[in-house]
Amino acid sequence: MDSRQWTRRDLLCASGAVGVGALAGCSGLLEEQSTNRNPSVVENRPDAIYRPSHVEGMEMIGMQEAGGRMVGLMYAYAHRFWTVTGSVTELVQPGGDVHLMASVWDPDSGTVLPVGTGLSVEIRTDGERLHRRSPWTMLSQNMGFHYGDNFALDGEGTYTVTVETGAVGTERVGDFADSFGESATAQFEWEYSEAARSEIPFRTLDDAGDPGALDPMEMDMMPLSFAPSTDELPGQVLGSAEAGDVHFAATVVSGDDGDAIAVSPRTRYNGYVLPAMSLSATLDRDGSTAFDDLLTQAVGPDLGYHYRASVDAVESGDELTITTDSGPQVSRHEGYETAFTDVPDVSITAD
Amino acid sequence: MGRTDRGVSRRDFVKAAVAIGGTSALSACLDREGAPDLDTGPEDLSALPARQHAWNESLSRDDAGNVTAARHHVLLLLEYAGEGTPSEDDRETVEQALRGLERAYPRSNEGLLFTVGYTPAYFDRYDASLPESVDLPRPGALAPFEDPKPDEPDALVHLASDYGQVVLGADEALRGKRETLNDVDVSSFGDVFERVDRRTGFVGAGLPAENQDVDGIPDSEPVDEDAPLFMGFKSGFEANQASEDRVTIQEGPFAEGTTAHLSKIQLHLDQWYEQDSRYQRVGKMFSPAHADEEKVEGVGNNLGTDSGLDGDQDRTLEDARTKGMVGHTQKSARARDENDSPLILRRDFDSTDGGEAGLHFLSLQRTISDFVETREAMNGTDVADQSAVGTRNNNGILQYLTVDRRGNYLMPPRDHRSLPRPDP
Repeated sequence: MDSRQWTRRDLLCASGAVGVGALAGCSGLLEEQSTNRNPSVVENRPDAIYRPSHVEGMEMIGMQEAGGRMVGLMYAYAHRFWTVTGSVTELVQPGGDVHLMASVWDPDSGTVLPVGTGLSVEIRTDGERLHRRSPWTMLSQNMGFHYGDNFALDGEGTYTVTVETGAVGTERVGDFADSFGESATAQFEWEYSEAARSEIPFRTLDDAGDPGALDPMEMDMMPLSFAPSTDELPGQVLGSAEAGDVHFAATVVSGDDGDAIAVSPRTRYNGYVLPAMSLSATLDRDGSTAFDDLLTQAVGPDLGYHYRASVDAVESGDELTITTDSGPQVSRHEGYETAFTDVPDVSITAD
Repeated sequence: MGRTDRGVSRRDFVKAAVAIGGTSALSACLDREGAPDLDTGPEDLSALPARQHAWNESLSRDDAGNVTAARHHVLLLLEYAGEGTPSEDDRETVEQALRGLERAYPRSNEGLLFTVGYTPAYFDRYDASLPESVDLPRPGALAPFEDPKPDEPDALVHLASDYGQVVLGADEALRGKRETLNDVDVSSFGDVFERVDRRTGFVGAGLPAENQDVDGIPDSEPVDEDAPLFMGFKSGFEANQASEDRVTIQEGPFAEGTTAHLSKIQLHLDQWYEQDSRYQRVGKMFSPAHADEEKVEGVGNNLGTDSGLDGDQDRTLEDARTKGMVGHTQKSARARDENDSPLILRRDFDSTDGGEAGLHFLSLQRTISDFVETREAMNGTDVADQSAVGTRNNNGILQYLTVDRRGNYLMPPRDHRSLPRPDP
């Protein structure tokens, strides 16, 4: 299996292929000592997506097919992140040896299967269980949605990492309707060494704190959690609008149960899906309300992860207003932690 | 005395001894706890309650008036050793052993409390079926993210006391390793049962803190000295517990019995103590309002006899959508009957079995369906489907526990506690 790995050489000389396009060429890289992989938090962070203090790579541990899904396991330096509850973000200081990340996707459509699964991870070494936990659902600028947490290891050696995906509890639509309803298990053997970890590229950024985001990384065979472009959305596309660094695209799709409004929020700049939001919507028609309800989460191969509700019909001239009751309740890597906490309403008028 | 002292604290030691079991552990326990001057049990057993699970009257209460659980516990999972169905002799052997325990110690937290229950697999030995008045399905997964192994021994014995040496002594006596307890002659289960598992634990202020040096709890010794359970908060508030009446079977041959659900849960509290803030812990355990209004002092003894929900259970979905998290207590409190009573009576306790932080979640309810309904409320799947709250993330305390095993038991009335037929 070609599990493209990020190495320092890749980062230096093949940035086009392995991504971190933000590095923009091979010159001017400031290599840091491996002892300091957590520069200070940027001062005066904007309440918006911003360029973080540093960019770092990650190393692929492996990819496996399990239960009709692909499971990818990666690691990076242990680093700080922020948990989110409502509009409260809490800094989690870096701890342990590595930041372990898992991603689960549909191999046919490349759709990353987000949240709603209760994914758990077990780490064993020398026959002993070292950890067992449900990692946080997370959003990072160079990877998008994934599961991740910092873990302390028991030194260099061989580790067995078991990922239990959990069943996808989120409503599954389209060709996903009959898939992913059962949990699946993927097991990885991982030879960990500090030397290999230190090979993971890392550099600080001169424009830290500026509005903007790291470019998405590119890894062969592992899709990132991009939302479909507005043009590619199925159904009758109503249009799009942006507020609070969230770009909302909306469409009307037909299904077995009649029509549904599907709203697909994605990050400004990188276009990653924004999972675990609480959205509601109204549809105003000639001054009266044709629809006013919650949108619930769903995932399908064409729409990706989105939020939807059944409607009788959407007519030309209808105004769809999308309210964000709470922003994405997923933990954030640096550069996303101040964003999406207070997203204004947006309106889209149907043609 | 703390666990960082060079020696082992007395209670630490008793906890370890209960976990290890055996005669040497018992004699060590006697040294440590001293020999409490306990009365013996009654000679005439006819006055004992019909309900095996009628413990509340004989347990102590805390300052607020909540029933306080006994501190030390042993669970024995037993297989019937014979073929087919038990004989009358087997029944007599079991009954005599249980009567011995009753005569040896008073039926209280200072003496000995015990129950015996039987699985659906046990009743499958018989051609006859359980009456319709008993709801006892085989155990299964109760959440889309769990894959528990079923516990299907024949019987479950639960021993409880404030004294480790009392539960250990009873354990030893049932195995035939002791002929007297508290100077009273006792007998054993003989060769009627084989043990397939033995689980131990503890609950009560001080015990979790003193026993936190286990996998699943960070090395920073985060568990509060006052905490009755590893997660650091009080539970078992009077208003959150079903009454013994509410969990008692009302009709049929097993009237005055109850059902028990026992799950073996592993706790993984690294995130809980090292990554979540106090605000988040309070919000996830109780409700976001508890966190916002700082309703919980310390481990929550200030809350009195209820968890201070104040209608938070009716705001579960709203909180999920605006606060990004929902509380375990808040969610679970949605499972109530038409009289606003909870459906289950928790008699759970923590454990360090296998060197891992764990929880033996033992609960009593009239029907297993009552337990399933409560667990579904705790799963909050309905809330997760309609909000930003995740399947496990920010969804009460689901993120911090993994259910490894589940078992269902019928706990017959005392008259039928010894190897009952399904149609006694």
